[in-house]
Amino acid sequence: MLALRRVQPWAVGFAQRSATKQVALASTAVDTDGSHSQSSGEPVAPQKHQSRAIRTRRPRISLQHPREWNRPLAFGVLPAFDEALKVIKEDSMALKDEVTALEGAIAREKETPQPDQHALRVMEDRLRILEVQSEINFPQVRWKCANGMADMSKAVDRHLLEQRWRKEGALDLLMERIHQMKVVPDVLPDIHPSLDLRVNFPKVKSDAGLQATVSKTVYERVEPGVFLLPEQTVEPPKIYTTVFHPEERLYTLLMIDPDFPDETNKTFQTYLHWLQPNIPLSSVSPSSVPNLNTHTAYIPPHPQRGTNYHRYTILLLPQHSRLSIHMVAKDKRTGFDVRTFMEKHGLDKNVGGGVHMWREVWSEGVPAVYKEILKTAEPKFGRMPKADRYGDFRGKKRYV
Amino acid sequence: MSVSVLKLNGLPFQLRGLGARLYSTRKGEVSSSDPQKDIIRRHLYPPNIRNKASPTGTWRPDVARALQRAIPSVQAHETIERAWLLHQRHLRKKRDAELQRKFNCMRQAMQELEEIDSRLFREANKQEDPRARSLAEVEAMKSMSEPEKRAVESRVRGLFPRELRIPTDTPPKNGWPNEWRAFQRPLA
Repeated sequence: MLALRRVQPWAVGFAQRSATKQVALASTAVDTDGSHSQSSGEPVAPQKHQSRAIRTRRPRISLQHPREWNRPLAFGVLPAFDEALKVIKEDSMALKDEVTALEGAIAREKETPQPDQHALRVMEDRLRILEVQSEINFPQVRWKCANGMADMSKAVDRHLLEQRWRKEGALDLLMERIHQMKVVPDVLPDIHPSLDLRVNFPKVKSDAGLQATVSKTVYERVEPGVFLLPEQTVEPPKIYTTVFHPEERLYTLLMIDPDFPDETNKTFQTYLHWLQPNIPLSSVSPSSVPNLNTHTAYIPPHPQRGTNYHRYTILLLPQHSRLSIHMVAKDKRTGFDVRTFMEKHGLDKNVGGGVHMWREVWSEGVPAVYKEILKTAEPKFGRMPKADRYGDFRGKKRYV
Repeated sequence: MSVSVLKLNGLPFQLRGLGARLYSTRKGEVSSSDPQKDIIRRHLYPPNIRNKASPTGTWRPDVARALQRAIPSVQAHETIERAWLLHQRHLRKKRDAELQRKFNCMRQAMQELEEIDSRLFREANKQEDPRARSLAEVEAMKSMSEPEKRAVESRVRGLFPRELRIPTDTPPKNGWPNEWRAFQRPLA
């Protein structure tokens, strides 16, 4: 068991345990937009009888403010910790020997005239697992990944970040919202994201008055499923991704509104707001995705007055090869069918991808979108007037 | 207040918070002098000093500080945990590998026996009925008393020995049974 010694609970005490849970929703990649991606708690005011407060604010460590890893406890303070480091180091060295041996075996197999593809694949899978296992137990590696200083060219860091995204709540929240808002059966039959897609829109400065004022410079992370104002979404969002594959793959970005009213059929249809194919993404490419408005221009969300809330969904679908897709004109955006589009261009939802969604409702900023960008009259929806049952009898004398 | 911690469940509801204090008694005043006055006082002025953990543990303000002392570093704790699980995994793999090796050796041996001598192979594959009694045993049992018969029936080969002593912290009160002899089951 742990030796109970009087140790100063400095460096990485209780704060880190709560901090790792708090940072689950924040990215560890660089979001260079001034958004407050790290939640900071206020330090507890010292109680009257205790001299030192429990430190609850997370230390400000990230790629912008890097810090070197230091041992949390000095040598000799906790013998179990020193023993643990020895065990981990021995195991890592044994695994690294296995890795070099396996690499040699793979190279030799590839040099043979007819390499056995199945055996090669098995060996390569095992090599990837061994590479991760040989480094994953080191406290310095885990500390770096937990503090936003992961090196995405290393398999172990990629693995740690992916595990964090999957297990510590971010993906669960996204999928909960996707399924509860019924985006999954309505837009796509199912989706299993393989990359972390983050969407940032400008922050609302004040929503008092007729039109809400929105910041021009400060962009904030959007939690999946929350309500945004149409004033916030006039400009295209800043998209950030964390991708877990080292090789470069092409993706298609789609932004759709499945709740666009269809008056002729008295139902809803899908409206295409944004389309950008052939986006190259890999784990070493920067997390902020540039040049997203070069294909089908972004049309801001314009939920019609009188309709219920609209769900705006962003999909990032993986492509098998470079695609040439025609640009969709501004007036041809309605009636877009996601399923046929995917089938036509070979976009397979089972291979992974990214998804995000938010909701919007009519506000005073929507008429501006109709006037300036769509240049059409703003529709107003409501219920049909009820037939007057007693219209014949109004004004006539009742008791004669 | 002179309430015993052990009798917490027997205490009235208002006093169940561990060490609930009442400001209605002055310092040094022993409250057990007049239990009637005590009860009245307790009901008029219920304990309302809430700085200890609640009885069912829904609020525990002392946990954070205690944990900070016990676990000086979360990073160190997780490292130790991972190293221990790693060590256990190595042991487990070694044991499993050894067991697998022994099983493979046994299987290889049986395969070779089958090729060499099929009668011995069949004998080796026979399942032993642990409750089967040989002729010698049946003869011996005819001249045994009831307890002895029961002893013979219950001592099955391969089963846990009934006479095994459970290790204890202290030696037995009545000393060592030096005259004890093991019961000999008559075998074939």
